[in-house]
Amino acid sequence: MEALSVIFSIGPFGITRTVVTTWGIMLVLGVGSWLATRRLAVEQPGIIQAALEGVVQAIESAIATVLPERSTLLLPFVGTLWLFVAIANLIGLVPGLHAPTGDLSTTAALAIVVFLSVHWYGIRSAGLRAYLRHYLSPSPVLLPFHVLGEFSRTLALAVRLFGNIMSLEMAALLVLLVAGLLVPVPVLMLHVIEALVQAYIFGMLALIYIAGGMQSQAEQASTQTNKNGNTP
Amino acid sequence: MNIDWTTFGLEIVNFLALLWILKRFLYKPVLETLAQRRAGIDKTLSEAREGEIKAQGLQAQYESRLADWGKERAKARSELDTEIALERSRQMQSLAKELAEERARNAAVDAHWQQEMQREMETAALLQAQQFATKLLGRLASPTLESRMVDLLLEDWAKLPDQQISGLRAAAEDPALAVRVSSAFPLDEVQRGRIIEALNHRLGRPVEVLFEELPGLLAGLRISVGAWQLHLNFTDELASFAAGANHVDG
Repeated sequence: MEALSVIFSIGPFGITRTVVTTWGIMLVLGVGSWLATRRLAVEQPGIIQAALEGVVQAIESAIATVLPERSTLLLPFVGTLWLFVAIANLIGLVPGLHAPTGDLSTTAALAIVVFLSVHWYGIRSAGLRAYLRHYLSPSPVLLPFHVLGEFSRTLALAVRLFGNIMSLEMAALLVLLVAGLLVPVPVLMLHVIEALVQAYIFGMLALIYIAGGMQSQAEQASTQTNKNGNTP
Repeated sequence: MNIDWTTFGLEIVNFLALLWILKRFLYKPVLETLAQRRAGIDKTLSEAREGEIKAQGLQAQYESRLADWGKERAKARSELDTEIALERSRQMQSLAKELAEERARNAAVDAHWQQEMQREMETAALLQAQQFATKLLGRLASPTLESRMVDLLLEDWAKLPDQQISGLRAAAEDPALAVRVSSAFPLDEVQRGRIIEALNHRLGRPVEVLFEELPGLLAGLRISVGAWQLHLNFTDELASFAAGANHVDG
């Protein structure tokens, strides 16, 4: 795969195009955010500030629809996922650049980050013991299935994004090679939509997994409270 | 489908770094700005609510004050009406009193005027009666009538009360006293003698008697004894009648 081609090496580590593109995305997002948020006005926001506020509020409200009471806590993680995956998906449309999410290493890394964050937020929400206990409920027999589900959904998360983006890039390349310069334009429009949809799906699934981990603790605590309350 | 573990690890680090960068330079400032704006909006809303509450309080206070003013106005109006009624009653009483006094004054003036008119009319009537009687008696006057009146005078002289006679006697004590007898017609000697005898008898001593004629007496006599006068003639009787009538009226 071309995505695995090493551009340069730092010691024993070969830096691939994927990593370089990711750095570029990080640079653009970081510098852009810094420039855009240097002089935020409370009273009369400019167009860029209004757009930024709109994006942040849209992300926050999307999170609030799933987990209303924790939207501010999850906003940085889920928002960063959405922004990064969307830009990483779309950047493949720029000639000469490769979408980092078309590399399984990136999607696997993101899936692992989501996997770890689910546990991080779950343990942070209810404590380690209470969080681990939910794997044994409603019955310890279901523990292997819970564990299998954790890994399978992480794997699905990584492979889904990788497969969609890689196939989109490949299809666009084939159409460009076969049909000429202007014909792939509709395909590229489809690419934009698909890239945004995949970013939304990835972020929303991550959000649902995290919310599931946090809410299962809450439900367990609620059930325990009810049992204690009903006990004479 | 190969995984480059270096890329895998770097991508994890990259994502975490990007998470920190965006959290530091995007989410935090934007959320703070939104929070400040919400705080400003909340503050404005709070101030608006406070203003509304204050306005409602002021409105209630204003309405209460208006109600108080209304009560005070009604009370003042009632007091003013009472005061006006009292003042009106007082002035009406004063006016009625003045009118009564004016009526009484006018009634007194009218009564006085009527009395004056009546007196003037009576005076005029008496004067006319005197003039009429003077003319009538002037035509009736004659020596015979006068002789009869001399008889009557002498009868009256003889019947004068002792009190008057004593006064006449006191006046007649003056040696220089001369008794004057005036008559409308000339008296004969007999009549003069009877008169002198009667005077001397009642005055208690002989007195000088002077006889004179006064046609103005119409008929009858007038006897003057010092300051005293005895008369029985038409002129003096009519004058006494008129003077007596005036004296009675006055």
